Amino acid sequence: MLLYELKKVLGKTVNKVALLLLLAALVIVSTLAIGGVSYTEPDGSSISGMAAARQLEKVKKQWEGYITEDVLRAVIEANDAVNQSPEYQSDDVTENNMAYSRKQGFSDIREMLNQAFSDFQTYDYFRADSLSPEDAGAFYGKRAASLREWLDSEEMKDQFTENEKQYLIRHYEEMETPVYYTYADGWETLLTYTDTMIMLIVLITGFLVSGIFPGEFSLKADSVYFSSRFGRNRGVRAKIGAGILLISVIYWGTMLLYTGIMLFALGVGGGSCVIQTGLGGWKSFYNITFFQKYLLSVMGGYVGSLFILSLAMLISAKTRSAVLAVTVPFIVLFIPSFLSGVNPLTKVLGLLPDQLLQISSVINQFSLYELGGKVISSVPILLVLYSCLCVIIIPWTYQICHRIQDR
Amino acid sequence: MELRLNNLTKQFGDFTAVDHVSLTMSSGVYGLLGVNGAGKTTLMRMICTLLRPTGGQILCGGRDIFKLDGDYRKILGYLPQDFGFYPEFTVKDYLLYVSALKGLRPAVAKRRVRELAEGVGLSKHLNKKMKKLSGGMKRRAGIAQAMLNDPKILVLDEPTAGLDPNERIRFRNLISELSEDRLVLLSTHIVSDVEYIANEILLMGEGKILHQGTADELIDSMPERVWKCRAEKSEVPALMKKYRVSNIRSEAHGAELRIISGEKPSTDAVPEEAALEDVFLYYFGEKGVDDSALI
Ligand SMILES: Nc1ncnc2c1ncn2[C@@H]1O[C@H](COP(=O)(O)OP(=O)(O)OP(=O)(O)O)[C@@H](O)[C@H]1O
Ligand SMILES: [Mg+2]
Repeated sequence: MLLYELKKVLGKTVNKVALLLLLAALVIVSTLAIGGVSYTEPDGSSISGMAAARQLEKVKKQWEGYITEDVLRAVIEANDAVNQSPEYQSDDVTENNMAYSRKQGFSDIREMLNQAFSDFQTYDYFRADSLSPEDAGAFYGKRAASLREWLDSEEMKDQFTENEKQYLIRHYEEMETPVYYTYADGWETLLTYTDTMIMLIVLITGFLVSGIFPGEFSLKADSVYFSSRFGRNRGVRAKIGAGILLISVIYWGTMLLYTGIMLFALGVGGGSCVIQTGLGGWKSFYNITFFQKYLLSVMGGYVGSLFILSLAMLISAKTRSAVLAVTVPFIVLFIPSFLSGVNPLTKVLGLLPDQLLQISSVINQFSLYELGGKVISSVPILLVLYSCLCVIIIPWTYQICHRIQDR
Repeated sequence: MELRLNNLTKQFGDFTAVDHVSLTMSSGVYGLLGVNGAGKTTLMRMICTLLRPTGGQILCGGRDIFKLDGDYRKILGYLPQDFGFYPEFTVKDYLLYVSALKGLRPAVAKRRVRELAEGVGLSKHLNKKMKKLSGGMKRRAGIAQAMLNDPKILVLDEPTAGLDPNERIRFRNLISELSEDRLVLLSTHIVSDVEYIANEILLMGEGKILHQGTADELIDSMPERVWKCRAEKSEVPALMKKYRVSNIRSEAHGAELRIISGEKPSTDAVPEEAALEDVFLYYFGEKGVDDSALI
């Protein structure tokens, strides 16, 4: 029966088109992501894509290792040396590029300096340029100190409870120092576009699963279906099974392909570096590696897709309308972004299912909840909450179809 | 197999579509005859457990069919009035799929599909997509799916609708063949569909079973007579207004009319033998005359 359900879904032209669209989306996103990696040659010219990644890997690997005070001192000195060079100070763009070429190897560490020494809420690209080698010793201490200062500031007074503040500071202090650094552009770029990819998967899979329950009604095949011996139980289970199977196979298939393409093109190294070494990750209170962040993102994405698409199926079963069901993922994904400006809603918005599809950005935010005196970060709450909701929604859908005579 | 309806009622809001119907059926062909909107489909959908009655019960072998649930549907076959299917499936896939829904084991299903395709004359079309079938062939596929589980109770809602006269006769014969040893409930608003094959005819109007019996019993139950008379063309409208006219045949100088009336409609009128069609007209008034019924 499951096979026939799949056959019904995959036999429809719309659905074939949807799958092709997903494939096209995968190609486009990967191409954009890989094409966005660029490397500046010593002569000032630049290349992009896979070749650029190989060159970057080569120069960044020279700075591989624990980022100790000595390393930071060396980076500040090297950065300063480039800044003093005639190419850097020239008005000619090519010469500037030649200067930049020499900064690429330590650009990630320079970036960490920018983030560590800028004010907590601001970012200054040139902050590293005004550092002197003596500042290197303050590097790690700066992180928690800036956080404390920010939390104590007037504007932050009521944003967090005392427990939450303690929680953040504790997690900051728990980061093991010095951090280990190596080339991790493969993982970083992969994670930059993970959210986009997951969102596209959910929207497109929405088209495939929305028709599963209304199908019989729109074809007027419902009377035969539900007056048969097993239509209301095994048949409905086969429908639910087909839905979950489609959601899972499409999700994991696409994500694995995407991951494979990105890591193949940009390199698999660096997965075990902590996320604080990456662009924008310095302030995250999650003490995890790039690989762990990736796992959380794809797991979150899966739970999120399962929830959103099960909800779409529930609504399609209830209303018998595929069109209404297709809009569910769009509503769930786009309404919260319209509301994000409304301050009192922040806490609620942080727990909406769209957050699960963008865990890699949620991890960089201070999204915390206090329940009965215990502080929990939003990612585990989201994972548990929506797994539980799936466990409720799926049997509910079954009940709706099972008791067809009472509609 | 006995199917008993007890005061069966279905209301849609304030509207009563099926009104306290009580009926007992065992094996044989039951012809449910009624005009559009009489409540035939509603009645049948309740018998197929697709609609829950507002009042009353349906008992199969003495037990409520909604309680019997799957055990009841196991012995049920249903061809709905607006019979839909999966356009991309081949006839064979479709029938195998319905077999799976009906719980037939794959080996049995394959055999049944072959036998039934033979029986309804679809053998040559088994590998055709459903959307490519003609209306008549679709109906055959519809009958075949209803018969897959060799049902003890076979419900056919207007199985002949949209078929040409030849096809309709063939269909009638097919149903007749299938009716052995089972209960067949067949609805139609076309008298000739049930006149010969039904053992019992149920006249349904406004949600009620008005009369039931064999064709002869129903004819005998009609208190008025059937007359044949001639009239000038100009007199026809007046006659039609005054009497129930079951047929008009134009002739060179006037028209020959078939009139149902308690009294003699004109001096030259001669009494005629009543037919089931006249009974239908008698109970359902002018509404009963459907052009397509006059074949
Ligand atoms: N779901 C519904 N909601 C409201 N009214 C309904 C519903 N289904 C049927 N009806 C009404 O109930 C009455 C009987 O409908 P039903 O379809 O049972 O008639 P029928 O005898 O099968 O007619 P036909 O010969 O046209 O098929 C009609 O007046 C119809 O409008
Ligand atoms: Mg009907």
